[in-house]
Order: sequence, then structure tokens, then C-alpha cells
Amino acid sequence: MQPKTKKSFKLTDTYILLVILVVLFAFFSLANKQFIAYNNISTMLKNMVLTGVLALGLTPLMIARGLDISFGNSISFTSVVMAVLFTVGGLNLWLSLLIGVLVATLIGFINGLLIEKFDLIPIILTLGTMAILQALALVVANTFTQTYSILMLTDQLYYFATRTFLKIPYPLFILIIFVAIFWFVLTKTKVGRTIYLIGANPKVAYLCGVKVTKVKILLYTFMGFVAGIGAVLIVSLTGVGMSYHGAKLSLPTLSAVLLGGISLMGGSGSVWGTLIGVLIVTVIFNGLSVLNVPSYYIQLFQGLALIIIVAAYEIRNKRAQAF
Amino acid sequence: MNEIKKNDFLNTINPFNKNSMTPTLLIVYAFMVLIFSLINPLFISLANIKSIMANLTISGIMAVGLTTVILTGNFDISVGSILGVSAIVCAKLYNIGDTYIPLPFVILAGIAAGAAIGAINGFLVTVVGINSIITTLGTLAVFRGLAYLYGTETAQIYYKPYVVMGRGYIFKYIPLTLVYFIAILVVMYLVLRFTKFGRNIYQIGANSQAARLAGVSIKRTTFYTFVISGATAGIGGILLSSQLAFAQGEFGLGYEFKILTICVLAGISLAGGRGTLVGVLVATLILGSIANGLSLSKVPIEWRDAFEGLILIIAIMVDSVRVRRRALLRA
Repeated sequence: MQPKTKKSFKLTDTYILLVILVVLFAFFSLANKQFIAYNNISTMLKNMVLTGVLALGLTPLMIARGLDISFGNSISFTSVVMAVLFTVGGLNLWLSLLIGVLVATLIGFINGLLIEKFDLIPIILTLGTMAILQALALVVANTFTQTYSILMLTDQLYYFATRTFLKIPYPLFILIIFVAIFWFVLTKTKVGRTIYLIGANPKVAYLCGVKVTKVKILLYTFMGFVAGIGAVLIVSLTGVGMSYHGAKLSLPTLSAVLLGGISLMGGSGSVWGTLIGVLIVTVIFNGLSVLNVPSYYIQLFQGLALIIIVAAYEIRNKRAQAF
Repeated sequence: MNEIKKNDFLNTINPFNKNSMTPTLLIVYAFMVLIFSLINPLFISLANIKSIMANLTISGIMAVGLTTVILTGNFDISVGSILGVSAIVCAKLYNIGDTYIPLPFVILAGIAAGAAIGAINGFLVTVVGINSIITTLGTLAVFRGLAYLYGTETAQIYYKPYVVMGRGYIFKYIPLTLVYFIAILVVMYLVLRFTKFGRNIYQIGANSQAARLAGVSIKRTTFYTFVISGATAGIGGILLSSQLAFAQGEFGLGYEFKILTICVLAGISLAGGRGTLVGVLVATLILGSIANGLSLSKVPIEWRDAFEGLILIIAIMVDSVRVRRRALLRA
């Protein structure tokens, strides 16, 4: 279907990223032995699950030219909702988690509905929902518990976050399941091809009879669901539902996705690219904190990384066009 | 033919034509004032009006700069971080030992810091060719990080003239900052309306292809709009640090959002090419009064952000409906 030259082009792209990953890994392990200790690796993998799941959720959305930057605040809000339902409402653990995920899904649906029905610029609308969700997270937490972080310690969540199977932490399995499902849907099914078609050219997709609006609203809804899963993960990993949980998630996730080769113009990107992007971002930030770099620098690096990544892709694209 | 074209252009930039959002905004503002003053009569007291006017000017000045960027169809969401950096630059200049640095130099340094960051944004957007949202999202993080790094401890400012610059009043009632705001607004209004540069900005936003064919240097004009936006954010940093007499790394956190809301509310179309600075003046008044009115109505402070978010969403929805209607009319 695709011309052969283009396919080999993409393959090298992923290889370059892999090489970068290996180099970074080698650098940090040489710089500090702590980096390759089992404890650090397992912490790193656990932290990666959250970014990874979110980045995977963004992948099909961004392939189809959508964008959502409110997921971090959606996580803050739903984690608060879960914790309030569980501690103040006295609800069953599973029920409160389920309601939280449903709330997040609803938020995604509303985002999608507004963006698609009113033809809004996704990043601006989700900037608005970001502010509203942040405020809601603060208000809900404050009115019910008078604090901004609500303890939600249960045996089940604790086991889930700390137990391992064959030395692999449990949360990592969620990521593996996600990768498998996303890879299958995006490459082997009609839905996946539809998503790529919408991203490559929405007009052509519409003329081909694809219900573009419907598919994109579904993708936004699904991104909301993924944020809900993210909230479950963060609550189980930290044991609290907090109003500021997701505030710093947007930038690394977005960097990871863009690093993985997803363009803002849509139509390109793959699950493997995103996964490697997530790995690179995780290795960089974990490596920096193992080296005791102050957190201000880490924020600075995040921004720089984002700019450099996109600039590199942009320059390469220009060069490719020149030929 | 030429006559029609000219009229069309004048209509685009005339604040009071029927396509403009300004009259609607004025009605909304009148209602808002009515409701807030019914809830709490203090809202229309002289002292309160004075404080509203003194507080809204910083976002107003920055909105004027951002307007030029949005008119070309781009965005700059790094303005809050630019404000932080510029405030810290100014405050640090007053804290290097015993050396006395003259006021004009400090002001210039603050504006230059802002303009330099704006130039970086402009370079990345026009020469490298990165999408402006992503560029400024990156610079937002970078310069926020820098601001935190150099602003970990509060830098106090003891120099009186610098502080008076932000806190002073003319004739007892008119805040100095309001004077700066109006001056900048008027100058930019004239530039946008009567100079070639201003017309180029509108042209690029309305139809960049046509602008390019007409010989407008898109890259240079866009670059300058980012520099202007950076410089106004730098002025915002100077004024904020002078009003509070100190500077911190947190200065300007979340401003991008507030200022974007002002611009969208003002009817500056996100598609570019539409909207006037008169709208910005009214929108600044509305947003500045909302924050004040809500706190006088005893609404918890967290709700204020939610309210502003809601206003942003409603404003972009109205904008999108208007753009669509125009497209239908044209077709």
C-alpha cells in the first residue's frame, strides 16, 4: 500500500531512536551505578507505566489530528473523586474506582463533543477544560476533606502497586496489555486504518464515507478513559488522591509522543515509536534525578527536549522536501 | 473595485461595524457591573474601581502584544514565563551589591529580556518552522525553569522610584499603570491600523497565501509580532515586580491562560486576521472585573479559575460559530 521507500524510511527512524535510547542508558549507568540497580529499574518501569499509558492513549488521537492537554488535570480531578467516594462516601473500592474512570471518560467525551461539533482548536479548548478541572479538583477535595490530598490506602491497591510477578512489577502488565491492544487495533484492523486515513487527509476520509466527527469524538472519549486508568494507577502507586497529581504529566507525555515520531499534522506515528519515546523520556528524567539534578533543571530540560525534538523532525522534513 | 476593497479592509478593522464583537461585549459588561454591584455595593465604590483599574493593566498590556501574534494566526503561550524572567532580571539588577543602576537602564533590561525571548520564539517559529503552540509550550517550560532557578529566594526591591512606577497615581485617582496601558494600546492601535506593518499582520492572518503573493514578507512580520509579544510580557514583568516590590520564580504562572482568554473574548479570531484592539480594552475590563467581583461576592478563590476557563470555552465557541457563518456567507 505504501511505497516501499517510505517504509524503509520509517524503519530507520525507529532505529535511530533505539540507538539514542541505548546510548542514554549506557551514559547514565556509567555516570551512576545506582541507575542500573534493580530497585531503580523497577521504580523507573513503574513510573513509565503512567506516562506510557497516557502516551498510548494520545497516539491514535494525534494520528487523527486531535490533541488533548487536559488529561493531567483530568487525572487530578478523578483521583480526588475516587478518594472522596472511597473515604468520605464509604463506597466499595472497585465501585469508587469504576465511577472515577467513568467520570474521566465523560470528560473526554465532552472535550471531543465540543471540539468536533464546534470546530474548535483542540489545544485551546483543552486549555479551558484544564483550568476548570483543576478548579474542580481543588474545590471537591477542599469541601469534602478540607485538604488537597486524600489518603486512600487499601490492601488491594498496595499489593497491586508493590507485588511483582517474575520480578516484573504488576503495573507493568497494564502497559503491556495496552501496547498489545493498541498495536493490534492500529495496524491490523479497519479502525486503525481509518484513523490513519483521517490524519492523512480528513477531507478525503470524509468523501470516502468515514464518519470523521464520530470517530474523533470516540477517540477523545477513549483518551478520557485512558486518563481514568491513569488516575487508578497514580492512586495505587501513591496511595493518595491529590488535587495536584496530574499537573506535571502533560509535558513529559507530550514530549514522549512527539519524540516517537507523531507529527502535529497527523497521519504518522506508531505504537512502537511512542513506546520508545516514552522509554527515552523516562530514562532521561530518571537518570537526571539519580544524578541529583535539581527539579528546576528537570523542568528546563523538559522544555528544551520538546523544542529540540520537534525542531529536529521539522528540519529533517524540510530537507526531505527539498529533495 | 479598488474602492470596495478599501471599504472591506476598513470594515475589518473598524471596531463598531456590525461584525464586531465590541457592542455585545459592552452590553455583557454592563450586565456584569449591575449584578456584581447588586450583590455587593462595594463593587462600584471609588476605591474598588481604582484597584480594579490598577490590577487589570498588566494583563491588558500583555494582551495587546499577544493580539499581534494571534492576528497572524499564531499563538504565544509562553508569555507568563517571559513575565517571570523579566521580573527577576529587574529585581536582580537591584540586588547586585552596592552598585546603583539607573532606572531607565533597568526598565530597558526588563523589556530587552522579554523581547529576546520573544525573538527566540519567533526564530523557532519562522526559521526552523515549528508549530507556534509547541514552540511556546517548550519555551514556557524552559523559561519557567530558569525563573525558578534564579528566583528561588524572593528578590526584594527597595528602590523607591521603581516601586512608584507601578503603584503611583496621577491626580490621586488614575493609576500610572492605566496610563501605560492606554498609551501602549493607542500606539499599537495606530500601528495596526495605519502602518504597512499593521496591514501586513492582518493580511497574513486573513490569507497567508495571498499575502505572500502580494509580496509581504511573512517570516519577518511574524518574527516581529513575537518580539512585540515578548516585549509587552517584559513590560508586564517590570510592572508586576514594581507593584509588589519583589520578584519570585512563580511570577506569571498561569498568565498565558488569562491573557489568551482576554484576546479570544475580545473577538481576536483564532483563525487570524480578525479583531481589533478596542475589543481587547473591553475584554480586559471584563476579565479584570470578574476576578474582583467574584471575590467581593465571597466566591471561593478556586472557582475563579473555573470561571475563567468557562469564559474561554464560551468565547472560542462563539468565535467558531462566527467564523463558520462568515465562511457560509462568502461561499
